[in-house]
Amino acid sequence: MRTQTIRIAHLFPELLNLYADQGNLAVLTARARARGIEVKVVPIKLREPIDYRQVDLIMLGGGSDREQRVVSEALASYAPDLRHAIEDGFPFLAVCGGYQLLGHSYELTSGELLPGLQALDLVTKAGTSRLIGNIAIELPATLKLARSTVVGFENHIGRTEHAHQALGRVLAGHGNNGVDHAEGIFLKRVIGTYIHGPLLPKNPHLADLLLSYALAYRGDERTLEPLDDTMEWLAHDQMLARLNVARKERLEEGE
Amino acid sequence: MDVRSWIAFVVASVTAFVLRVTKRAGTSLPGYLATRISPNLLFYVLAKLDRCVIVTGTNGKTTTNALLKSLVAQDEAWISNAMGANLLQGILSALLPELTWRGQLRVKRAILEVDEATLPRLTQRFQPDMIIVTNVMRDQLDRYGEVDATLGYLYESTRDETVLLVLNADDPLAASLGKGRLNTFYFGLSDWPEDDLLRQEVRDGAFCLQCGGELLYTRTVFGQMGHYHCPICLAQRPFPQFSMRVRERQEEVEIHEEIRLQSPIAYRVTSPLLGIYNAYNLLAACSAARLLGVNPARFEAGLAQFTAPIGRMQTFPGNPPRILALIKNPTGATMVLRSLEGTLNGDPLCFVINDADADGRDVSWLWDIDMESFVLRSPHVSGWYCAGTRGADMALRLKYAGINPAQIQLLENAADTLKVNAEEGGSVYILCTYTALHPLANRLEAMHT
Repeated sequence: MRTQTIRIAHLFPELLNLYADQGNLAVLTARARARGIEVKVVPIKLREPIDYRQVDLIMLGGGSDREQRVVSEALASYAPDLRHAIEDGFPFLAVCGGYQLLGHSYELTSGELLPGLQALDLVTKAGTSRLIGNIAIELPATLKLARSTVVGFENHIGRTEHAHQALGRVLAGHGNNGVDHAEGIFLKRVIGTYIHGPLLPKNPHLADLLLSYALAYRGDERTLEPLDDTMEWLAHDQMLARLNVARKERLEEGE
Repeated sequence: MDVRSWIAFVVASVTAFVLRVTKRAGTSLPGYLATRISPNLLFYVLAKLDRCVIVTGTNGKTTTNALLKSLVAQDEAWISNAMGANLLQGILSALLPELTWRGQLRVKRAILEVDEATLPRLTQRFQPDMIIVTNVMRDQLDRYGEVDATLGYLYESTRDETVLLVLNADDPLAASLGKGRLNTFYFGLSDWPEDDLLRQEVRDGAFCLQCGGELLYTRTVFGQMGHYHCPICLAQRPFPQFSMRVRERQEEVEIHEEIRLQSPIAYRVTSPLLGIYNAYNLLAACSAARLLGVNPARFEAGLAQFTAPIGRMQTFPGNPPRILALIKNPTGATMVLRSLEGTLNGDPLCFVINDADADGRDVSWLWDIDMESFVLRSPHVSGWYCAGTRGADMALRLKYAGINPAQIQLLENAADTLKVNAEEGGSVYILCTYTALHPLANRLEAMHT
């Protein structure tokens, strides 16, 4: 079955929009349209219900501590359905604060514990300094994407730890906690990451991966036709060069 | 003066002299060296001031600073860091030329623009007579952490209630600094030509700081500016003692002044700058000038002497003329673009985006600029040019705002934007971040003189 429209639920945009999530939405929308697929963004305000039958992809961004506290207080009502959806392979993009909220809890510098969605087995604790700067990571080989690097910017005081597969191995920058060289999380069809900048413009392979996840969840297994991403890869490669990371291209593997 | 401070003073003075003789304008270098040698020197000099006004906030500091100086410095000299060097070393660099070898100040009044994150370090040891907060918005996130952190710095710096605090009432974040505080005055717009309800801007203060409720706006200006109230805890926009009415396409604005125990007065002022954001800067400057005792009858004469700081859309005459504008955060950039909407007529538009510390290393903010509205309303751009260390990021921003990639050209050097030509009768517009501003302005000066 070919899908005509991808519906993206943007969670709590009135609170969690610190790192230009509009940019991620703009990229997903434009890249879907270039393949003749419409995108409908459904903003879901805090305390409004999510109807999982009516959406194909969820995006959760980051906010300030104050805003994350407001969100955290209202998360309990979402948790059971969301856990179930993730288990079921529902595609999910969570960035910065959104990534932290997927876990058990976020412990602030003050010691205060903000409960998370408890959807993934990860915990976050505030550190003593912010981890800030440009970052490059290498994606797991199992993903088999045309390019294996992801670049962007990170800025977080939270140190996240988990035992799942990371989104990538840190080539330059800090990652989840600045210690174990892991960045983000990659589980079922969930991508959680500290990388913004925003994430998707300079990483078109990830954008297409999310789009194909959204299609696949509805049973549409098509391969997205390639687009002209000269400009995207130029920006990507410039950042790799700045970070002294060698450009990595995965060789096409036969079917 | 202690010995270290005196050594710092000597080193800074010699450095400033050498820079002057060799015609190299390193605005903060003398102050940088001096603060490295002695952190006390700055506070020694500040203590010598009779009067000190500090201008802080996210947008409009430099312009407000320059406007206020033009209003107050008609008869007497005032020191100011007019070049926008607003960290501790920049402030010291501005003060040092007026310090005599005997350790006295020749000019004892100063208007200082101070970076929000720097302000607490200043107010820890020195209390000015007045602090003006223009607004609190999203700036370069990596430097400030978050908007809340900025607000925290400002809150901490304004707790001494003997200091006169002048706040923007239309900005719920800036206005929150004055809650329950003595010696606090507000300014705000009472009427303006156009409300913008449909723009997709980032509203940084859209939530009530008292109770977390979503603020309701009866009118909006831009960003989170407007007439707001909280429907839950009933917190309201504070009453502004200084309110301004701006009319469509009129340079003349009207200020209504209503201070407790004084009879209300009104006066008209001719705005030397266009754009609704400059109305706020003018109002902030006029409010502060009134509180400093300047007669409004003298405002016109002062403003006639005003010259806009660099990067505020000056035209550098030539063929083609080139217009230079500083952009450094989403709201500021959106406002600059909005003011260009009606002006562009087949002209090329250049962006120079750097990511040094002073620019903000995180360029996420490019994606919070309301580029889409601009593209929808301004189809008459003949070419889009991007340069700077993050020129490629800007090019992507334009592509995803709907510009045909074939029309976007990535230039290798910032200076290449000065080679971009316009059609007969057209102009070239250059929007750039902070570290690109002065090099471009210097080259433009050289080209056109």
